[in-house]
Amino acid sequence: MTERARDHLSAVPGPPPTDPAQLLREVAQGDEQAFGRLYDLVAPRVYGLIRRVLRDPAQTEEVTQEVLVEVWRNAARFDGARGSATSWIFTIAHRRAVDRVRSEQSAADRVMKVGVAQVEIPHDEVVDEVTGRLERQQVRRCLDDLTDLQRQAVTLAYYQGHSYREVAELLSTSLPTVKTRMRDGLIRLRDCLGVEVTA
Amino acid sequence: MTTTDIHALVGAYALDAVDDLERAAFDRHVRECESCRTELDELRETAGRLADSTWSVPPPRLRSAVLGAIAQTRQVAPVSPAPMRSAQPAPRRWLVAAAAAVVLAGGASTAVYQVQEQRVGDSIATAARASAQTERTRDILAAPDLVVRTAPVTGGGKVTVAQSPSKDAGVILLGASAPPADGKVFQLWTIRGTTPTSAGVLPAGEASAVQIVNGLPGADMVGVTVEPAGGSATPTMPLVSQLPLV
Ligand SMILES: [Zn+2]
Repeated sequence: MTERARDHLSAVPGPPPTDPAQLLREVAQGDEQAFGRLYDLVAPRVYGLIRRVLRDPAQTEEVTQEVLVEVWRNAARFDGARGSATSWIFTIAHRRAVDRVRSEQSAADRVMKVGVAQVEIPHDEVVDEVTGRLERQQVRRCLDDLTDLQRQAVTLAYYQGHSYREVAELLSTSLPTVKTRMRDGLIRLRDCLGVEVTA
Repeated sequence: MTTTDIHALVGAYALDAVDDLERAAFDRHVRECESCRTELDELRETAGRLADSTWSVPPPRLRSAVLGAIAQTRQVAPVSPAPMRSAQPAPRRWLVAAAAAVVLAGGASTAVYQVQEQRVGDSIATAARASAQTERTRDILAAPDLVVRTAPVTGGGKVTVAQSPSKDAGVILLGASAPPADGKVFQLWTIRGTTPTSAGVLPAGEASAVQIVNGLPGADMVGVTVEPAGGSATPTMPLVSQLPLV
């Protein structure tokens, strides 16, 4: 490997330096610097998630900004007993993205857009991959463990913003079945990922 | 809606797959139903993990826009000093399953639209190509002789080229801060001697791309230009980014 490449790789940050929950508590006290650090920690995933759902770069930017401002405004409402800070933030982001996509794009549009989606691998992930410091692709692996119907129900809803009614139609399945598959699919994912919320 | 029905809604609710009325009904329900509340917390936390695979670099201007906006935004009052909670789980590292959902959703659309016409077939083919590309990208990036170089893009952002002589291929990653103005587009070039060859044209409005280039290690340079929509046969000068490979 060349000198140059090594220089570049050495600049790769390690795991996030600070705990998002702690930062969020500082943000709740009006600490703008803490917000800046929180931004750096979560913005790529918030932006990536919204972009995955909306597909449109301009709308993605707009909604990402709305979400992050909402995080700032409502930071005091975060309740660590009910989940992690990142999950709290992603919940806000996902809901906003879904609201936007439902108001502006038909279900059929969303199905079509996925077909032509570009493969995106952010630069820093590539660098991570090169350095081999990457965690195993746990989410992917756990999604693979679901039944087809569970996986489709969960991913159509989460990544494309479909309602369970739309999912039922898309998968030619009954409403109760779709509701059940979303629930038991998530339960299986929860167990596979080892997610715990300890109140 | 009966109570049985509403308990069963917890998964759909955690995925934001309910309509506004159901959302409101379930919000009311979880205030009274402790088992649903516990389950919702866990399933929402689980759903949040699906965002681990959506990592994407936002344009740098977004950071200043957001920081500017919060400086002018009043916060809701803190309720009470929040009790400190014991250790958070170890920070999750970013995952690289970037294309997983595209692939999975591609499978879903196969199921859904199999009776539909050509254009759907095309989009499925595109998704399939996308997943094959992702595999190929990973394969190249895993090469032991990989060399990574980066160069800035005029106007912000950078281009990264990772190439492997043993794979006789490379990957160009463009991450500009913003797409070109006036409906223009970015175009990627490989340049061998004085001969430029197009390595791909971005759609209008796009500022980032991942492009596999076979035979890249034989080229002398990678360049990026701004072109009319659809791209040009030869590069329009000046290059907005150039990255010598030798
Ligand atoms: Zn209940």
